[in-house]
Amino acid sequence: MKKILQLITKRMFSLIITLVVMSFIIFLLVEIMPGDVAQMILGQSATEESLRDLRESMGLNDSVIRRYVTWVGNVIRGDLGTSAYMRNVPINDLLWRRVGHSLILALAAFIIFVPLSIVLGVIAGVKEKKWADSLISFFGLATMALPEFVSGVLLIIIFSVQLNILPIVSIIPIGETLMQNLEILVMPALSITFVMFGYVSRMQRSSMIQVMNSDYVRAATLKGLPKNYIIFRHALKNALLPTITIIGMNMGWLFGGLVVVETLFGFPGMGSLLMTAIKTRDVPLIEACVLLITIIYALSTMLTDILYSLLNPRIRHQGGQS
Amino acid sequence: MKDNLLEINNLNVDFETFDGTFSAVRNVSLTLGNNDSIGIIGESGCGKSTMAFATMKYLAKNAKSSGSILFKDKDLLSMSEREMEQYRGNRIAMVFQNPYSSLNPSLTIGYQLDEVSIFHKKLDRTEARKASIEALQMMNISEPQRVVRRYPHQISGGIQQRICIAMAILCSPDLMILDEPTTALDVTTEAVILDSLKELREKLNMSLIYISHDMGVINKVADRIVVMYNGEIVEHGPKEQLFDHPSHPYTRALINCMPRGGVVKEETMLNTINGYVKRRGNQDVGCPFADRCEKRNATCENTYGMRVVGQSHMAACDRAYATDITDTKHLLKEKPVVEQQVFEDRPLLEIDNLHKIYGSRRKVYAVNGIAVSVAKSSVLGVVGESGCGKSTAAHMVAGLYKPSKGSILFDGSDISIAWNKRSPDMLKRIQLIFQNPGNSLNPSHTIEQIIGRPMKRLMHIHSAEERRKKILEMLKKVDLGSDYIKKKPRQLSGGEQQRVAIARALSISPDLVVCDEPTSALDVSVQASVLNLLNDLQQETNSTYLFISHDLNVINYISDYIMVMYAGKICEYGKRDEIMAPPFHPYTEALLSSIPETDPKKQKKPIRLGGQLPDPGKKPKGCPFAGRCHRQVGDICYKEFPPMVRLSGSHYIYCHHNFSEK
Repeated sequence: MKKILQLITKRMFSLIITLVVMSFIIFLLVEIMPGDVAQMILGQSATEESLRDLRESMGLNDSVIRRYVTWVGNVIRGDLGTSAYMRNVPINDLLWRRVGHSLILALAAFIIFVPLSIVLGVIAGVKEKKWADSLISFFGLATMALPEFVSGVLLIIIFSVQLNILPIVSIIPIGETLMQNLEILVMPALSITFVMFGYVSRMQRSSMIQVMNSDYVRAATLKGLPKNYIIFRHALKNALLPTITIIGMNMGWLFGGLVVVETLFGFPGMGSLLMTAIKTRDVPLIEACVLLITIIYALSTMLTDILYSLLNPRIRHQGGQS
Repeated sequence: MKDNLLEINNLNVDFETFDGTFSAVRNVSLTLGNNDSIGIIGESGCGKSTMAFATMKYLAKNAKSSGSILFKDKDLLSMSEREMEQYRGNRIAMVFQNPYSSLNPSLTIGYQLDEVSIFHKKLDRTEARKASIEALQMMNISEPQRVVRRYPHQISGGIQQRICIAMAILCSPDLMILDEPTTALDVTTEAVILDSLKELREKLNMSLIYISHDMGVINKVADRIVVMYNGEIVEHGPKEQLFDHPSHPYTRALINCMPRGGVVKEETMLNTINGYVKRRGNQDVGCPFADRCEKRNATCENTYGMRVVGQSHMAACDRAYATDITDTKHLLKEKPVVEQQVFEDRPLLEIDNLHKIYGSRRKVYAVNGIAVSVAKSSVLGVVGESGCGKSTAAHMVAGLYKPSKGSILFDGSDISIAWNKRSPDMLKRIQLIFQNPGNSLNPSHTIEQIIGRPMKRLMHIHSAEERRKKILEMLKKVDLGSDYIKKKPRQLSGGEQQRVAIARALSISPDLVVCDEPTSALDVSVQASVLNLLNDLQQETNSTYLFISHDLNVINYISDYIMVMYAGKICEYGKRDEIMAPPFHPYTEALLSSIPETDPKKQKKPIRLGGQLPDPGKKPKGCPFAGRCHRQVGDICYKEFPPMVRLSGSHYIYCHHNFSEK
């Protein structure tokens, strides 16, 4: 357990360094984006004077470093600034609601695709080259080849147009919350599952095949242990390791990178917010979104590593030779 | 035949592949009584393991088997998987070659032991744990209560294998199959395991099938020997008889190609077997060994069959007693006496106070101050168990690592620097041959490119034609035809690959060749031919070898001088004959006593080494061997590194023991 704590503190430290570096890069990138922010906000008809005033009030005339330091200081205090496009609306009000929505969507998708692809991947791996494997592998390949905007449209045609059981768009009516409209999660979550299933189940299948052909599974078989026991107790724990890495690497994407899916269904999450922010050149909002997504990426990588070492004693007891 | 525990009748195992059907085991019949033990010997690819796995009814999906395997009069081959589970691990247990990969890395040792009793003996967890700890105690594993909580990677290879054997005896099986269980281990560890197997057999009244390629090992554990070649049993009989009168040409060749104790390069060439084990189609007929046999005649192509050659001694060769096959004793080729080599006084290589410490925070003390000099045109054999620093020292000479401290003088100039700081001329003068030729040859280059590259880079032969001429010359020297020039490494067998590696190293006529276990990955017959080749080339070119091996017989065969290393220190150094005869350093004595003797009549009692290698993570203090030594003098062994005791002009020992007393 001490090793785990050590690992966590070590990873936290590198997480902070990552964030510092990343925040600076994000800031610079947004800064060098072409176009004048003040011009974007006020429109083509704005006078020279009002533009100058706006630049002054937004601090656009200060040096990059100075503005970066102010920004980081504010972020640490929890103030993400105000949206430039929707003037005077604090980003905190805009962002956190969307974060909640995205989290719930990510969670819903996670609950569907992780068990599904692991279970089917294991079945395919154990029944290598049998009909069950062929079926699962074919399905995995087929969904992997479909981009989410195609599978999403397919889902809409089936569930909304033909069966008419789910709403076409995932919009939350004004005055209601997501929790009152859970059915809008189904189709976005399903189309994410379509994207992820192929990757994860194929990874699970191949690592399962590798483990089932390993010397220690052979040794376990020749110890006279039943096959199902070997699969669950001897093989699964080792076969899960590569899959966990793949899932962890995609967690960040699942949370902040769902631009296509969210736009397609009109789901009010982080992805569509970022999309809007970029379209309106809302610099403070872009910065806040990207920073948050970075944090999620880093955190999920860290979680993956910790989970990985919990499952893998070789890392947990590194160098712990007797 | 009620008293037979195991009866294999006409067992055939074929593998169906894209290239056709191959037979891995053909027409094998074998019986094994209660408390009986047989050793199965043969080179790799001879179907030994396949036969063992067939006995467990564990075969690949593309395998087809026929015949019957009766275990206590029940046919195992016709059983369902369910029924087999009752036998596997319970009545028949198996131990594998590589203990590290046979243990599940993510489960504790205890868990993996307990489950055997839980499933077969229906014990509950606490009873099962008790049984596991008892089994570990039986295998002389210290602190079993702590060992059960560990994971496999926290335990050394020798103990891992003892754990695997403990796992196999949990249900006191009737039959234990061991598939090369000690091949991956050091000789001293091997000796301990072989000893304990003997004890176990008496205690548990079980039968053994022991598979090995090493005649010496088989001799220690088996009563009867079965020789397999290419899926068939070519000879079997009681071990003394088989050793005294080996009848099948393959058995003779196999026995004679091992460098045994006392066989040295000045007197004999090692016997070799031409060619290699070819895959056999299931329609092929004739003696499987015919294509490599020196004594074949027309009859070998079709008729052959088991013949009785002595009491319960059979050989599958019609020509077993043909007069043109000479007796075993004369099979070793006599070598024309070459004039005694005189080594120049000036040493080619001088190593002084050489240290290598790996890592910065977590230190590993690999080489802890060695000093030795190597005479020009001599062969220095370096021997020691794994982890003794012999490879690290050799790699520092070759420049792969930079020494942490100390100096290496090569022909007067200091080369204690990494290879990339050395001059091209220096690189050309020192060449390296690795243990595993498959990994040290670039798989995407042709043999011509592989051998030609150092010629181009280090000898500046830029004309392709000139290079090719030299390459062909070199290939001829290592007994490879000119057609090899366009081949790629994977098209070659292990022995041929090592020949290419040797050709590459010697093509630019280096002064010093560092051979890092060049034959340990090879079969004995191939090892013999590689050793012969290295030896011939050394005499022809007058180059100097630094030859590293864990095998004392090989070292004894090829070396002029021998250096024995232990835990990064030199124990003993001297001329070959001085090392091989008393007085010994206690570690050399233990090593020599651990070598399994090939002749069943010359068995000796190995010195059992207790304890373990000193922790390489701690700065060494005192004599590194003190903790395991059977000739300890007293406290001084732990406190002070022993002084150099000169026994003759060239022979010295580092030990506190007083050698003049004897």
